Amino acid sequence: MIERKERKPYWRHTKWQMLASIVPFLVVIIVLPLYAESLNSEKFLGFPLGYFLSAHGIAVIAIFTVASFVNRQDAVDHWHGAHEDI
Amino acid sequence: MSLTSRSRIVNPRLGTYFGIFVSALSGLVLLLIIFEQLGTPDASLRWGMLIGPLLLYAAIAASVLTKDPLDFFVVGRRVPAGYTGLGVASSAMGATGIVAMTGVFFIIGFDALFVVIGGLAGFVLMAVMLAPFLRKFGMFTVPSYLGRRFDSRSVRILCAALVAVPMLLLLAAELRMGAFVAAWLVGQPQSLMVMLLTLCIVLGLVFGGMRSFTWSSSAQAIAAILALIVPVAVVAVMVTNFPLPQLTHGPLLRALVRNEAIQGLPIVEVSSFAFSLPGDGMLAVTKRFTVPFGSIGPAAFVVAMLTVAAGVASAPWLLPRVTMTPGVYETRKSLGWATVFFGLVMLTVASVSVFMRDYVMDIVAATGPASIPGWAQQLTDLGFAQIDTRSTRLAFTSFSFWRDTVFLSLPIAAGLPNVFAYFAAAGAIAAALVAAGAVVGALGNVIAEDVINGLSWEPLPRQPRVWVARVAFGVVAILGGLMALLAPTDALSLLLTCLALTGSTLFPVLALSVWWKRMNAFGAMAGMGSGFGVAVVTMLAGSAIGLEGPLASLLGIPAGVLGTVLASFATPVPTRSVLELVREMRVPGGEVIYDREMRLLRLKNRDRK
Repeated sequence: MIERKERKPYWRHTKWQMLASIVPFLVVIIVLPLYAESLNSEKFLGFPLGYFLSAHGIAVIAIFTVASFVNRQDAVDHWHGAHEDI
Repeated sequence: MSLTSRSRIVNPRLGTYFGIFVSALSGLVLLLIIFEQLGTPDASLRWGMLIGPLLLYAAIAASVLTKDPLDFFVVGRRVPAGYTGLGVASSAMGATGIVAMTGVFFIIGFDALFVVIGGLAGFVLMAVMLAPFLRKFGMFTVPSYLGRRFDSRSVRILCAALVAVPMLLLLAAELRMGAFVAAWLVGQPQSLMVMLLTLCIVLGLVFGGMRSFTWSSSAQAIAAILALIVPVAVVAVMVTNFPLPQLTHGPLLRALVRNEAIQGLPIVEVSSFAFSLPGDGMLAVTKRFTVPFGSIGPAAFVVAMLTVAAGVASAPWLLPRVTMTPGVYETRKSLGWATVFFGLVMLTVASVSVFMRDYVMDIVAATGPASIPGWAQQLTDLGFAQIDTRSTRLAFTSFSFWRDTVFLSLPIAAGLPNVFAYFAAAGAIAAALVAAGAVVGALGNVIAEDVINGLSWEPLPRQPRVWVARVAFGVVAILGGLMALLAPTDALSLLLTCLALTGSTLFPVLALSVWWKRMNAFGAMAGMGSGFGVAVVTMLAGSAIGLEGPLASLLGIPAGVLGTVLASFATPVPTRSVLELVREMRVPGGEVIYDREMRLLRLKNRDRK
């Protein structure tokens, strides 16, 4: 169980982790499709690059974002003793 | 009895059970393929493909009868992350996400990606900002969570009233889409199929509530994914020699791009806020596949993507699912699985549309006199496509396709046995059942818990509580069925409207309820009210201000944030007990807040006796 005085540092840490997970991801998904057309002249695995990055690339980035969030947030929980006891 | 972690151990035989289900389903499909080759009448194959899987789902639902409220409403909190992710991803897509999106990809290509990216972003937002905290809170429905979080019955009832609107829209959309595919499959009227699907959904819920639904919908989701992937993988082996259609359609796409340029398909420029999504009906292919922003402008693309993200992240029919995991860590993990499944399905859907375009391009690019191959004739006879043969030479624009049948056309175009097309249809019906069932379950719980018993924090006694929910499931399902029969609108636009409304109403309030301690009950009510109101007004005034309905959250979400912040600052700070609740919710460790309250309530009642 988390100690009372650990609550504030824990929540600060969690807030930064939230921003670190969400902000880069949102920037990528908003900006990348807008530049897809100019990337389409390049090829990757036979795909036009802009299309490939907007479809497959963003799927991989999303999976990576959640996976790294789960891993990092769990580390934050353990660091401050806020984890579940199961 | 308090629930310790020990009683929440995941059933170790789940894998075996679903292995048996997959074997039974594969057996059914293989058997029907054999029967088809032996010359069994087509009608028997079609009915077999419809009824066989439905019986399997019903058997799973009926085998987990339960009376215990914790089992009935949250599956005893022991659904592992993988199954939760599977359920969340497939309830978010539904049949509309598979069937209509294939057609949308086929017709407008790149621009359809806004749904894919939006859905993925929705799961990321849900995983990081909302789900773990709602899991720690442990309420059965979103209105219960908001009501308890702000210790206000008015918030609870207002939220219940507002979420019912988008949920009914989604239910109607899914039932219509499911009924459309089922009607094609067995050649019966759609109204009859709406009734059949409604009956299946009710059967999937009444026995064991969310417990029945979770396990039968896991089976449905597995069936939907298999039915989507297997025919495409077979086609991929035929066309590219490799059974990974998601990765191997690249060279095909390149040839397609070249041929589109030779055919002279125009590169369309549209205004920044243009949003013309292909509707339900015959549509000619006039846009190049990989060239972005030909029917949806760049600004509209970003707004629509964020709308889908906000709608999915705060969906009141998905959020209760993530509170059914054994712990907060598993909840976060489950949304990782949801991203995996959603990404896989959507990339498969995109590859279906590329294969289909490639088949059409083969006809057009063939040298010599134009001839229409057998499969194209078959599609025309089925009413899936129209070919304009008036001109001397076939061009790409001579072909019109019905948006919602592109998905079913691929096995026919590839010349696979008919059973593959029927299997794909059965998968779409399964997907419709998952999504519609999720809505009926969630809305039924909202009605039973937050409307009928909305004025009291003390739940009804065990038996009546479960029975009220059972009746509510029936009422919601019948209401949804009636809406699907009476409101013949395009399912895809219903889905997007539903997501825009949900995002505007709930996303700001839910996110701030976790991340902003100062927010109070007035803020929550003002936020939901202003978000919902502004979104509805924008939708009604859409054409006048040049903003299509699904983009209404462009104004709705900021209105929700503004309403929440202004009303919270204008009214007193939250009480100390509410602040303590927020602090507790933010820490994953410790007892689930709802379970603790129920335990204390039982102790109190025992003392009173």
